[in-house]
Amino acid sequence: MSPLSAIPAYSPASLPQVNALTSSDLSQLPASAPVTSATPIGGDVFSSMLGQMVSEVNAKQQISGQMVNALQSGQNVPLHQAVISMQEASVSFQLLVEVRNKLLESYQEIMRMQI
Amino acid sequence: MIQILTGIQNTSAALDAEHTRLDVISQNIANAHTTHDVDGQPYQRRVVVFDTVMKNAMGGDESGNLPTQVARIEKDNRPPLQVYDPGNPEADARGMVALPNINIHEEMADMISASRTFEANLAVVKNARSMAMQTLQMGKP
Repeated sequence: MSPLSAIPAYSPASLPQVNALTSSDLSQLPASAPVTSATPIGGDVFSSMLGQMVSEVNAKQQISGQMVNALQSGQNVPLHQAVISMQEASVSFQLLVEVRNKLLESYQEIMRMQI
Repeated sequence: MIQILTGIQNTSAALDAEHTRLDVISQNIANAHTTHDVDGQPYQRRVVVFDTVMKNAMGGDESGNLPTQVARIEKDNRPPLQVYDPGNPEADARGMVALPNINIHEEMADMISASRTFEANLAVVKNARSMAMQTLQMGKP
């Protein structure tokens, strides 16, 4: 399963505050009213996807921290599970860093564009 | 949840199972001279039985994974060894003591098998990690 297909499709209800913010902001702009009627704009989809990814990576890091804590406080946690969760957290963090690098790269590419 | 490491659920379950198997083997070796088990009889050798987990039946994922698990730990029903040791407080009227029928060599061979299987599963984890890292390197020039 590819990482991106694991993320559920964007739904406006999943991020109510972002949705409310953008819709109220955009409703103040009379010129752009027909474009932003119901369909979410691309930025919303991507930012929610990125936010979801960050929260998943954070969850993995927290799970790994909890397992290591449990292991060190003498609870019945097998060593290999703690190490596997650490590895998983580390690799998914690397993935997040790669996505962030790619994002910054494309931003800088756009900023270098001749106008 | 992001599936970042390939087949990690199967491997993790297999590592758990082998861990239990090694625990049982160490228990067998440790109790090689135990004349009183929990039921008052000489200790009987324990054997681990594995089976596959039906993930879908448990409401798990739809990936079709079949991880292994420890189904049950059974007693080996071979009769105890009768050893002549009249000085032993556990000896009967004829001076015979019933000792567990545990062959240390057999347990060592089982331990080799279990630890090699554990090692193989660790190699799978290591390989999955390096595959993921190499895939992440793909985007770099």
